Amino acid sequence: MPSPTGLPDAVVIGGNRTPFAKSGGAYANASAHDLLTAALDGLVARFGLAGTRVGEVAAGAVLKHSRDVSLTREAVLSSALAPETPAVDLQLACATGLEATVLIANKIALGQIQVGIAGGVDSASDAPIALSDPLRRALLAANAATSLSARVKALAAIRPSHLKPDTPRLSEPRTGLSMGEHQALTNLAWNLTRQAQDELAAASHHRLARAWDAGFFDDLVTPYLGLTRDAVLRPDTSVERLATLKPVFGSGDAATLTAGNSTALSDGAATVLLAEAGWAAEHHLPALARFVDAEVAAVDHPGGADLLLAPVGAIGRLLTRRGLGLDDFQFIEIHEAFAGTVLATLAALESEEYCRRLGLPGAVGTVEESRLNVNGSSLATGHPFAATGPRIVATLATLLAGRGPGSRGLISVCAAGGQGVVAILEAV
Amino acid sequence: MDRPIELLPGLPRLGPVFARALLPSGARQAELPAHTVLVNDHAQDLDRLSEYARVCGFTLRDTVPPTWLHVLSFPLQVALLGSRDSTIRLVGVIHVSNRMRLWRPVGASERLQVMVHAANLRPHRRGALVDLVGQVRVADELVWDGVSTYLAPGRTAPGQPDVSPQPAFEAITPTAQWRLPADLGRQYRRVSGDPNPIHTHRLAARAFGFDRPIIQGMWTHARLLAALENRLPGAYAVSAQFVRPILLPATVGFTARPTADGWEAAVTTPDGRKPYLVATLSA
Repeated sequence: MPSPTGLPDAVVIGGNRTPFAKSGGAYANASAHDLLTAALDGLVARFGLAGTRVGEVAAGAVLKHSRDVSLTREAVLSSALAPETPAVDLQLACATGLEATVLIANKIALGQIQVGIAGGVDSASDAPIALSDPLRRALLAANAATSLSARVKALAAIRPSHLKPDTPRLSEPRTGLSMGEHQALTNLAWNLTRQAQDELAAASHHRLARAWDAGFFDDLVTPYLGLTRDAVLRPDTSVERLATLKPVFGSGDAATLTAGNSTALSDGAATVLLAEAGWAAEHHLPALARFVDAEVAAVDHPGGADLLLAPVGAIGRLLTRRGLGLDDFQFIEIHEAFAGTVLATLAALESEEYCRRLGLPGAVGTVEESRLNVNGSSLATGHPFAATGPRIVATLATLLAGRGPGSRGLISVCAAGGQGVVAILEAV
Repeated sequence: MDRPIELLPGLPRLGPVFARALLPSGARQAELPAHTVLVNDHAQDLDRLSEYARVCGFTLRDTVPPTWLHVLSFPLQVALLGSRDSTIRLVGVIHVSNRMRLWRPVGASERLQVMVHAANLRPHRRGALVDLVGQVRVADELVWDGVSTYLAPGRTAPGQPDVSPQPAFEAITPTAQWRLPADLGRQYRRVSGDPNPIHTHRLAARAFGFDRPIIQGMWTHARLLAALENRLPGAYAVSAQFVRPILLPATVGFTARPTADGWEAAVTTPDGRKPYLVATLSA
């Protein structure tokens, strides 16, 4: 598909990530800065970028310490990239890394930069813990006080209960429901069975294990701190074994979500190298896939919409705009926030009624199971929130390059806040 | 020279060997042990490495800083100086300079042979100087070596002291400022195992003529390397002079400039007039 605008092509040259660890596992002592630096340095080593001034690095984290305002720039300064490489932090919940990829691809397509890096990192192990609001306000007031008595008075407002720290919660500010609780509602609304969710989870593990065994990740992953493979991966899991796990979210009929069909809290970082096609050729670097287009969408979850189904509208609009159908894609990557998220997304794409309600001309279509997450996805790799987008982009670009020129892939990543980002890649 | 080897089962922890190293020796004449202390197959502690990285300002990587390898050799220095045939004790000696070479990047998961011997006893106008020479090997490959030069004040050693003048320090404008908290000596003790109370206790510091505890020189050295982290190649040599101690808490200046084959860096007073530590790095 030629670029309709005559703009330069942004191509994916490759990716590099750390193996993903379980929270509290191999990376228990690594900070987001350490992880992102490790992923960047691995990318630099893979593509000979040491000392190179890259146009821009865009990355982010969902769980972020207040000291990490310029997390990405600081990681760039710790990396082997030229210190004159600028960087930007951005945040779009679990779609942070994919949105970062869109940003870099767009800048390349507009000729603003020739080469850029997109990335994402998260550490559930090194999550920030904040002071409780009353304690924080009392300390700020004491700090602003101009007399000793005013300071004492401000500090006297502190109660023992205020000393309890505020740990980060993954609940929606407007609904008070955790992501799992939202997914439980979606599972109920779409009549998703425990069996179907466990089958999808088992397939994810089996496919990822097969990809590791086949050496698929040799070009995509650099070991870190002794970890050489994704630690969440259970190659020998089965539907039967998953069926023995106790539900963790929902109650009654909705109690189908388990630790096995939900993503595990994880630590890791991922990066993708993108460049203008000519730059890649000049530097004798491979162009795996062209970054064709992207679309973001949101749903009205405070009004009762399914929190994690925003990608459905994004896919529908993007395909309509591009005149494509789901059959035009050889690979479809749907981020497995929960097995139920993928199943509900597939069902919604097939639903005439759901799609018309989104303002689409009709049902988007059916995803052929053999094209879906062929090398596993987040249930098996783990899901360090912001790192998932770049993980998928690099995986998909590698798959497409293997399939051959013209083959297409679609990425869908749902995010907290009822948002979603989707993108199209096409093998060069 | 073939030295007798004392093989230790592992790197010594705080215990009798440290206690002995803390006891002053009454002897005036400096004497050194002739043997090498050696530990085989040391598995690096990743938890401690990550804490070391945090205290010193390093990014936690798969490869370790050369100062970390010094930290691993340090208990062997203490063990050596604590042996009966040493009249120089850890307490009271002054770390005046350090040089080391990283021969290749050393992985955090590599198992190491660590050895230390003492050499080069020589007179100084204030006492005796001694070199503690450390080596780290992986299998049979030398991956790191380092020489810590200590001054034992008031001790005598045969020969004439080197009285050639030191090059004068030229004032510079620092490009960075570091704030060292009062408990930094304690933080670094946790990761280095350095039991010298001069770094952690005011009374101990007073006993040696300092108003407040002083930061371990090897922290300052490590912090300097951390400031240069990504500018440094996979293998390099670094030589550091500990010019004067930093009393905690402190605010200090840092500056570095590239040279033909590496860097010159210094930790100074905030105005850049007086150096605490000057270092030269070369490929």
